Amino acid sequence: MNLHARVLDALGTVFDPELDEPVTTLGFVGSCVVDEDGDVSVLLRLPTPQCAPNFAFLMAADAQAAIARVPGVRHVRVELEDHFTGREINAAVAGGEAFADAFPGETEGELDALRALFQRKALLAREGRLLWSVPDPATARLRDLAGPDAVRCRALRRALGIDAGDEAPAFVTGDGTPLSADDVARFARMASLTALSLETNGGMCRDLLRVRYPDAGREGVAA
Amino acid sequence: MYEKDGKQYFIFDSHLHFWDASPANWKPGAEEYAKGWIECFHAYMGLGPPDTHWTLERFYKYGVEDLERDVFGAAGTDYAVLQSTYLKEWYTTGFNDIERNAQALERFPDKVFVNARFDPREGEAGMEQFIADVEKYKPRGVKLYTAEWYQGSRGWKMTDDAAKPFFDKCVELGIKNVHIHKGPTIWPLDKDAFDITDVDHVATDYNGDLNFVVEHVGLPRIEDFCFMATQEPNVYAGLAVVLGGLMHARPNFFAKVMGELLFWVGEDKMLYGSDYAIWEPKWQIDGLLDWELPDRPEYADYPGLDEDGKRKILGLNAAKLYGVEVPANLRGNVPADEPASEESAVGVAG
Repeated sequence: MNLHARVLDALGTVFDPELDEPVTTLGFVGSCVVDEDGDVSVLLRLPTPQCAPNFAFLMAADAQAAIARVPGVRHVRVELEDHFTGREINAAVAGGEAFADAFPGETEGELDALRALFQRKALLAREGRLLWSVPDPATARLRDLAGPDAVRCRALRRALGIDAGDEAPAFVTGDGTPLSADDVARFARMASLTALSLETNGGMCRDLLRVRYPDAGREGVAA
Repeated sequence: MYEKDGKQYFIFDSHLHFWDASPANWKPGAEEYAKGWIECFHAYMGLGPPDTHWTLERFYKYGVEDLERDVFGAAGTDYAVLQSTYLKEWYTTGFNDIERNAQALERFPDKVFVNARFDPREGEAGMEQFIADVEKYKPRGVKLYTAEWYQGSRGWKMTDDAAKPFFDKCVELGIKNVHIHKGPTIWPLDKDAFDITDVDHVATDYNGDLNFVVEHVGLPRIEDFCFMATQEPNVYAGLAVVLGGLMHARPNFFAKVMGELLFWVGEDKMLYGSDYAIWEPKWQIDGLLDWELPDRPEYADYPGLDEDGKRKILGLNAAKLYGVEVPANLRGNVPADEPASEESAVGVAG
């Protein structure tokens, strides 16, 4: 695999924290240029110039970090295109600074709590899609779940510090509490609404991106 | 009054704009923000049917004659609430401030309500202006945009201490309806700006005095909105964006979102809003009147929506909140005390 392909693979591990989808499949990678010295330049583009600065920062910083870890990469430059706080975010990401450095005096903390909040939503949504793939959700184990949602559930659980082993309960709330038998109906209702919310937002983001960048109709990476 | 297939409907559009976002109104030094904002709105128009799209030039600024044609003419709107959105750090005279909205009030005094606004960060001066606006324009509601930038601050929360005197003043002045629009920024920036926990708090504090209409049903946090609205008797769902942004572009998501709203919030607490001029109203009204919950297994858990329910959403609920009488022949079979009633959702126990 050449360096360009490995860089794209690395970008595929960067998730929109709010939508729980890779920035590559969302069409957020506007361009990715890798030169012969291993210098990488990536432009990220978002559905609107007014997308939330905190999520935009996470995607840019995560992309920067993911590409920097790819062997053979010498220098990485990730920039947000046409964003209303792009100047602040691009400068901070280029300098390896934190979110609070990008917006001095405008934050109370870093973005870990925000990220965890949305990992919990994402976990609930994924679990909602898997709930009826097993005969009894309250007694199922993680090894009983299969497919991409199951793989992502494990990753989200590890990120949240929740047991992701084969024998762990298949379904847990955001704080790791196993689903109990008498809570299945309510859990199912909330999980399916949360899944619908993420899917609807993802659909709207794709539609807006396509209006803004007509070439974004297809999945993958432009240019 | 709107007529379709030989039936007549009362239309109360609870959320419209009347903006001037033309380049002449872009504030020097803030042109990129002013341009980005209106281009963003214009992109949303792209989610509606192609034959309703406007050019960006036309979209920049429109006049009372456009409102007359699109809102009161083609869509037969009986009442329209023009919401104020200031954004004065980006637009010299504001995006659509109350004075601009008042041009429409002057032209259509029997059909238009203008809503005031306040921003707690403006302090005493803001309070004086708010009181003066209320005396002058007699609004029955306010529109609050929490992501507005103001002197280095990028937003506020409804639970901020400085907001309380303004809500108290609404109660004192007889203003009943608080429309809330969340945006992408808020202080502090590291928190989720779309979070609606602050609405939950003030809705509880002012239950009995104020109604809270969460515009675009809290999108992109529709799950938080539903979990909250099902528990708060005075929280209502503003359908702007659900109709305009999903009905044409994503009909399956539209059906499911409507199903969830009917389940958690209920047809008595859902209010039609066109969000004009982001979208023209006629196709949205037609679309809702034609819409039925799909007869497929994955929709079986949702309540349906019959003609009387559609009448409530398109007009009767908002008419109740705004104290407007609806002619008996436009009420269908809906009893006078039913629209906007506090307990209509199916919901599930907390």
